[in-house]
Amino acid sequence: MKIFFGTKAPVRILPTLGPISLWIALFVFAPVGVIIYFSFLPADSAGEISAGVSLKNYWLLLTGDTDYGKAILRSVLYAFITNMVCLGIGYPTAYWIARYGGRFKALLLFLVIAPSWSCYLVRIYALKQLVGYPGILNDFLLHLGVISSPINMLYTSTAVVFGLIYIWLPFMVLPIYASVEGINPALLEASLDLGASPGWQFWTVTLPLSKGGIFGGTILTFIPALGDWLVPLLIGGNKVWMAGNLIQHYFIVRGNLAIGSSMAVILTAAVVLLIYMCIKLGGEDAVERIV
Amino acid sequence: MKSLRTDRLLLVLVVGGYLLLWGPIIVLGIFSFNSSAFGVKWESLTAKWYVELFQTSAIMDSVVRSLLIASVTTMVATGIGTIAGYGLFKYKFAGRRFLRLSILLPITVPYVIMAGALLVYFTQIIHVPLGYPTIIIAHISFSAPLAVFVTLGRMQRIDWSLEEASIDLGADRLTTWRKVTIPLLLPAIFASAVLIFPWSFNDFTITYFVAGVGTTTLPLYLYSMLQYSLKPVLINAISLIFIITPTIGILVLSYFQREKQFTR
Repeated sequence: MKIFFGTKAPVRILPTLGPISLWIALFVFAPVGVIIYFSFLPADSAGEISAGVSLKNYWLLLTGDTDYGKAILRSVLYAFITNMVCLGIGYPTAYWIARYGGRFKALLLFLVIAPSWSCYLVRIYALKQLVGYPGILNDFLLHLGVISSPINMLYTSTAVVFGLIYIWLPFMVLPIYASVEGINPALLEASLDLGASPGWQFWTVTLPLSKGGIFGGTILTFIPALGDWLVPLLIGGNKVWMAGNLIQHYFIVRGNLAIGSSMAVILTAAVVLLIYMCIKLGGEDAVERIV
Repeated sequence: MKSLRTDRLLLVLVVGGYLLLWGPIIVLGIFSFNSSAFGVKWESLTAKWYVELFQTSAIMDSVVRSLLIASVTTMVATGIGTIAGYGLFKYKFAGRRFLRLSILLPITVPYVIMAGALLVYFTQIIHVPLGYPTIIIAHISFSAPLAVFVTLGRMQRIDWSLEEASIDLGADRLTTWRKVTIPLLLPAIFASAVLIFPWSFNDFTITYFVAGVGTTTLPLYLYSMLQYSLKPVLINAISLIFIITPTIGILVLSYFQREKQFTR
């Protein structure tokens, strides 16, 4: 299928790109193909799969008396809020590091990256220990006499969104930092020389040139938030279900692979659409910025 | 002039961002030295939970399993990923963009989807019993792409004329690879390994989906402790280890990068 340019190239491309292509085909594309296939298999409520092709699973997700549709809409809404708040905190942070970081740039960036590389379960737990009840903050406030009875800060939608922001914020900062840092300083000087005020310069030069970083950050924040299941499970106390919880529930708890697959396919479609939109809006730069 | 108010707002947001990222982790770290078994009320300073941690054989076993999985994953993923990064950088061919996007796929799609897909694939299609092989295969699928993009990023800063010089001076392709290319790629290989090892060690979602009985890694063990609310303070102690390990990794990496900058 591939047409190679140059005569010697194919001989050298195969040993370098062969292993990864094979691996991606076997352990990424094949499993995705399999869940697409499974999502069309009819399954009864016990998860027993029978032969044939049906749209029953998808139909169930749309019209079922259960909360599927709600969970999907909730996921999209929460992921959107998370993304916007992360952009609101992440852009200034990235901008500030790039502009005023000076010789502390590396340290400041490190302080953003380090939490994101520690275990994500641990970070959720840390948040829970701090704001939950029994929890450190509640105990501290009770001790000071600021509050007379413990406040419930967990197990609400707000808590889930807050948890999502806390977990995914670092992934917004890095791509934006990279694109702000990559802006040619001559362009900024030119805009000042031509009479732009710093505020005007930001809106007309800096912001448009860091578009790739913003959409790259959106890919890295919106998508994981959309598919998150541990935050709603642990911070939402199993009350506020998102799409990821449904997938985990059907795959692991219920063992109903057909319905689980159809959920996963719908979520994948949403994700692919989102990536496509980000690339369209942010340009190829959005992809460059996320890696 | 940019107003003072804008600057102040900017600083507030930045400080807020850092506080949000570090606050819970720092508090948790401090409370891991708390002598109270329930963890939320401060009693007195102690390191006894760390001692208990090392004496609990179930925890130590899970640490060994996690280390084993992370080591194999790091070696295979770094190997496959680095040469793929090299190939993607060096050769232009039709389908290159498609391949790039395909490699990006596993790291951009939510883990829960890919993990679920791998579970169905392993159990229903290729019938591999869940355990070490499935965990390691799944981990490689997610971390080899990381190595590809780390390598791609670094290759732009490498002086490739050295490779041509080697061939002009009469070395064959294999010798050039061994004596020139691989040494040039070493920083990329090192950077990939330093990122992949903690990633694999810390991964929860993917391991949770494809792990079988008897392959409880440290994050899985932690999850079961959380579920049954066993010894919260012990969890604090484990957590601190989880936070410190990648931190050291990144520090080593940045130190190494600085060394490189000086030598160039």
